[in-house]
Amino acid sequence: MSDDATLEAFRLADSFLPVGTYSVSYGLEQFVADDRVTDADDLEALLSTYLRRQLGPADLVALRGAHRAVRDDDLEAVCAADRRLSAVTLAAEFRESARQSGDRLLSLQREIRGDALFESYADRIDAGETPGNYPVVLGAATGLAGIGEREACLLACHGFVTGLLGAAQRLLSLGHTDAQRILDGLKPVMSAAIDDSADRSVAEMAPFAPLVDVLAADHERADRRLFAS
Amino acid sequence: MAADVPESGGEQSPADAPHPAFEDYATESPPQAAVGAPGKDGVLELRFEPGTGGTRLVHDYATVPFHVSGTLGHDPHPDVETVFVQSPTGGIAQGDRHDVTIEVGDGARAHVSTQSSTKVQSMDHNYAGAETGLSVGADAHLDYVPEPTILHADSRFVQDLTISCASGGSAVVSDVVVPGRLARGERFAFERYLSRVRATGPAGLLFEDTTHLVPGESDPQVPGVLGEFSVYGTAFVVAPDRDAADLSDALHEAVADCEARAGASELPNGAGVTVRALGDRAETVQAALHAGWDRARRNLFSAPAPAGRKY
Repeated sequence: MSDDATLEAFRLADSFLPVGTYSVSYGLEQFVADDRVTDADDLEALLSTYLRRQLGPADLVALRGAHRAVRDDDLEAVCAADRRLSAVTLAAEFRESARQSGDRLLSLQREIRGDALFESYADRIDAGETPGNYPVVLGAATGLAGIGEREACLLACHGFVTGLLGAAQRLLSLGHTDAQRILDGLKPVMSAAIDDSADRSVAEMAPFAPLVDVLAADHERADRRLFAS
Repeated sequence: MAADVPESGGEQSPADAPHPAFEDYATESPPQAAVGAPGKDGVLELRFEPGTGGTRLVHDYATVPFHVSGTLGHDPHPDVETVFVQSPTGGIAQGDRHDVTIEVGDGARAHVSTQSSTKVQSMDHNYAGAETGLSVGADAHLDYVPEPTILHADSRFVQDLTISCASGGSAVVSDVVVPGRLARGERFAFERYLSRVRATGPAGLLFEDTTHLVPGESDPQVPGVLGEFSVYGTAFVVAPDRDAADLSDALHEAVADCEARAGASELPNGAGVTVRALGDRAETVQAALHAGWDRARRNLFSAPAPAGRKY
């Protein structure tokens, strides 16, 4: 990869990226409220489930679809991956979080690295024809920046896990060393999730984490909450 | 399915498999009656249309293992016609291919269930599969709430269920999977279970939900997947023309305090609401889904769901 692409990858993977990561917990808040996640081991096990059951079989498949599509300059394929991801994401809060983060990333990329494809994609989102999910916007952004497809998937996994570790530090008494230990320990799980996503077409997205869905449904109605999901 | 019938126990082609994960199984010819042979290619067709004094069953065709004894008139709503599909067999065996088509015409209302649980028997060759197509006409309603599917040790089962809903139509479709004969200590001893549910409306795909369990490769009882629970069920309340936010809150309230761990959320594309339930026994999961179904019925057409008991 060129220096520009590598630096762009670092920028997109950084928790400094203003896409609202601080406001989403993807159900983690409810797992803590339910006493299902009380320590670093519980957290690592749950993050492993997210990687294996949500990112690998769904988010990364959508990301890859968008990454390939922008290389082919195929806006229709970007939108197809986008719509498919929403259709297989049954927890309403997760669709909303992915849409909001996607909206922020797309606005940011249009400001700093304008591209005709981003403009027409934004038009389709504004027209309500496609949702604008975060993994799809990220796939398009990485594809346009010349970041490799697998590197883009690694970036997405790293960003997702660091985001949830940040949420966990506000929900649990989780030390910085524990957070880094979890991030390090999940590396093989990230690779396995990425391998899983490589074998799937956009039509084969199949996330499966029913207990996460049930707890996300409770979270939708929780009285006091720090996070939007 | 008729076109798939081999001449005489002929070799199966991997290309017949509905999912790549089943291709190896598809090449194995079962030693008993061949795949798709009479008795193994069960077909069920039901069609409901509105008539004077409520909905009528206007077409029914059933081959072994399906049996239809007629309709029942016990639904709390006077317009709803009920069919409980029976089976004279001990369950689904290797090499079975089932094809179910249920159509509810414009303005009709029907409730279809099974009389007892569907047992998927142990297998050492091939697999069992079922394709179910549900079509709901304009301003029509279908309740498709079969009894649970019980996966015996070493079973391999694939099912595809498709719901198509015309404008103003609605459906409640539920599915409960029990990972073995729990009372004898058998759980997660089956080989593979793949269930795909997808719904389409006038504008195309509304949602798709896939359950793919392979306990030998990936433990389903991990945090966030099934957790400590064994039995898993989902009820899809497909109602694209209703206010999904209100319906979702109402269904969540109805199921949140059940013994099973359950919750409701809005489906994608305004398609309606999904209720997921996890429990230790089929009864508690069914009770939660029944509570959701009952609330959905009261919300959709001001009538309760019929009692779940069938004996």
